[in-house]
Amino acid sequence: MHTKILLDEDQMPKAWYNILADLPTPLDPPLHPGTGKPLVPEDLSHIFPMELILQEMSPKRMIDIPSEVQDILRLWRPSPLYRAHRLEKHLKTPAHIYYKYEGVSPPGSHKPNTAVPQAYYNMKAGIERIATETGAGQWGSALAFATQLFGLECTVYMVRSSYSQKPYRKSMMQVWGAECIPSPSTRTKAGSSVLQKDPETPGSLGIAISEAVEDAATHSNTNYSLGSVLNHVCLHQTITGLESKEQLAMVDEYPDVVIGCLGGGSNFAGISFPFAGDKLKGTHRETDIIAVEPASCPKLTKGLYTYDYGDVAGLTPLLKMFTLGHDFVPPSIHAGGLRYHGASPIDSKLIHDGVMRAVSYHQSEVFDAAQTFARTEGIIIAPETSHAARAAIDEALRCKKSGEAKTILFNCSGHGHFDMSAYDAYYAHQLVDYEYPEKLIRESLARLPKIPGT
Amino acid sequence: MELPLLLSSTLTMCVIGLLVNPIAGLGGAVGLKGTDGQVGEARARGALPRASGRAMEALALLSGLPVCFISCSGAMGEEALRNAGVSRYEVAYRASSGLTSADDTVAACRIFLERNVDLVLFCGGDGTARDVYSVLGDATPMLGIPAGVKMYSAVFAVTPTAAARIVMSGCREGGHFLIRDAEVVDVDEEAYREGELKTHLFGIAKSPYVRGLIQSTKQVFESHDEERAKTDIAHFIREVMDGTPDILYILGPGSTTAAIAGELDLKKTLLGFDAVKGGALVASDLHEQAFLALLKEGTQARLVISIIGAQGALLGRGTQQVSPNVIRIIGIENIIVVATPQKLTETPVVFVDTGDPDLDTSFGTHISVISGYRIARRIKIGTGEIPSPNTG
Ligand SMILES: Cc1ncc(COP(=O)(O)O)c(C=O)c1O
Repeated sequence: MHTKILLDEDQMPKAWYNILADLPTPLDPPLHPGTGKPLVPEDLSHIFPMELILQEMSPKRMIDIPSEVQDILRLWRPSPLYRAHRLEKHLKTPAHIYYKYEGVSPPGSHKPNTAVPQAYYNMKAGIERIATETGAGQWGSALAFATQLFGLECTVYMVRSSYSQKPYRKSMMQVWGAECIPSPSTRTKAGSSVLQKDPETPGSLGIAISEAVEDAATHSNTNYSLGSVLNHVCLHQTITGLESKEQLAMVDEYPDVVIGCLGGGSNFAGISFPFAGDKLKGTHRETDIIAVEPASCPKLTKGLYTYDYGDVAGLTPLLKMFTLGHDFVPPSIHAGGLRYHGASPIDSKLIHDGVMRAVSYHQSEVFDAAQTFARTEGIIIAPETSHAARAAIDEALRCKKSGEAKTILFNCSGHGHFDMSAYDAYYAHQLVDYEYPEKLIRESLARLPKIPGT
Repeated sequence: MELPLLLSSTLTMCVIGLLVNPIAGLGGAVGLKGTDGQVGEARARGALPRASGRAMEALALLSGLPVCFISCSGAMGEEALRNAGVSRYEVAYRASSGLTSADDTVAACRIFLERNVDLVLFCGGDGTARDVYSVLGDATPMLGIPAGVKMYSAVFAVTPTAAARIVMSGCREGGHFLIRDAEVVDVDEEAYREGELKTHLFGIAKSPYVRGLIQSTKQVFESHDEERAKTDIAHFIREVMDGTPDILYILGPGSTTAAIAGELDLKKTLLGFDAVKGGALVASDLHEQAFLALLKEGTQARLVISIIGAQGALLGRGTQQVSPNVIRIIGIENIIVVATPQKLTETPVVFVDTGDPDLDTSFGTHISVISGYRIARRIKIGTGEIPSPNTG
């Protein structure tokens, strides 16, 4: 019985899977924030390279991974798939638990799977600098790593509360040559206006996105890059699901349950799309695909499925997605990467259409699971990842009750080595279980003006 | 020895009014629940004063700081200062007799106020807190060294050592204390001796505190500053009220609910229940009968309340106007609890004590408390009887 299921380097997938090709009904198009009309590729060309814009809208099922990108991905890919024998034994469950470990990448998460191709396509398009935002610092450090490999400059707007809370993520960006600025900042109009209204704001991902987009839009040598949400980001992440499918096949398994945590939706998309594709095509109709979100920021379980902006200032296109409202500033939970008001439009549609589903958990429940995982499997996982571990453990416990030997796969999206202060807070009984007062918020929004396009 | 003195004298000197209630805690030691009107009895039962000793414990830790104390003669302060080895103090009030009373506390506090002290540090119990507050109001911050029988007010540090730590942190900043609101509650001593805790909110003082005991695990609050947190909560609740103009909102006592009224530009009674509908004040300082009249047939109402006192009381203590009957008519699902994160870190568990145990249990095990703009926290509801007050 294997513990690690490994692929050789030459077995690494050579193409990404584009689920847009298999959707039974097309995605609602992104809308121009000014006109409310569906976007055309040119609308995005001042902040994205054309190759990524085409991927965003491509009807092609498989999209080739450029060989320069493959060369870099091979620094850590294919990543291992683990069978969680010790966790299963501890839970006394008949279920088979597998986890795809993305913490082996140099920045320590799944994020470089898209940072590398994004940096590559920008370099090819003659771009000299990339601006981006980061919440907890995972994405910022991943893009710093990737841009540096292709000789690009990188400016990272980091949510202010994390900037002071996670100093080592900042240090990593410095090692990889990126500039990291606490957001909101006075570098941009969007940041200045937030600061003027509220000098003490802890910042949010939505504000940081506004800053990075503005930076890119106002500098011709600079493009913008987003670490999640968008179709092309989800596309790049499918390498994790494609590898997992191969690895599971090596041990004659196919998952009954596929789980990922969801911030913007990219690691969840990555692990699940190849299996969701099978479900759509009818080859495996019964797969239960679960996105896990924090109870404090529950867009999937309590949000609306509607058009909304991706950022606070309303600079991004309007996307049809599950959202808590673009002006919602989620509470400062330790899983900073899950503090986002919206979700990937593809994930949202598939959840809305019942192909996949969502659950939410409180912080303290999530850290209980992280502790169990660390004490059985050894890996200290990121707070974001712990949400997926919680759901996987609960599924396995349900199997224990029902006696079913289900095969559970979850995306172990990153390690938590720079999140130890969150673990400290857990042991000091200082974790706060935030909630989203859904009914009151809906009432409070009753009189607000509507955004165009809804 | 010269150098530290020289150094400290270049710092801004922090001026603290110090007051010890010599008879605080006398009753407790001999099984009397409180000392009001019981000094003779307590002494007869052989009670020994302990307040001076408790004060000394705190003061001993402060002897090297750039602090100047303004205090009272004998057992009301001087004795503790001298025994603690503090040399920089001035006696500004002298009690006329050996047996001091509330009048002496009040007179001393008046002098502290005149002398513009940065902080009044007092040693006593809830009764002393009430007397100090009656003079200071929210003009000057106050901090209690616990020495009384009952300490349900939120102005008390947990121990004398904790009180010293809080003083130190502010003095290092030249008298700039981090200030928060703290309820001063009044306990009905008669009832308390009968084993029943009846409190009412006497006032809301300003009190210094120390932020985040374990700095390395900084938990980011919805916002760090309590005033700001109140504004955030008020802003959110105002939006909810704007969106539901047909619902009658009853705002309970406290400064957080007062902030909500402030958002609406309404004047609220700080310690009472006021009713608001469609942005206008409908009634103020409601009592049970007035409640019942307002809630006649079919009026949809919501009760907005905050957590009272250091022990985390939600309903019952300090809110007797809201009888079980009133709560049933309004409906538990229509109670909106608000509290700042600062308050919630001190009261991880809240208590519901409406006087009707069935009603109490129907609140369940957890309650959602609005703690910021569009933010709530899940807080545990305790099941204890009378929760124990801060005792050293
Ligand atoms: C380790 C880890 N997992 C998950 C996420 C959530 O992002 P996404 O939903 O795009 O996968 C993040 C985001 O920062 C992360 O750092």
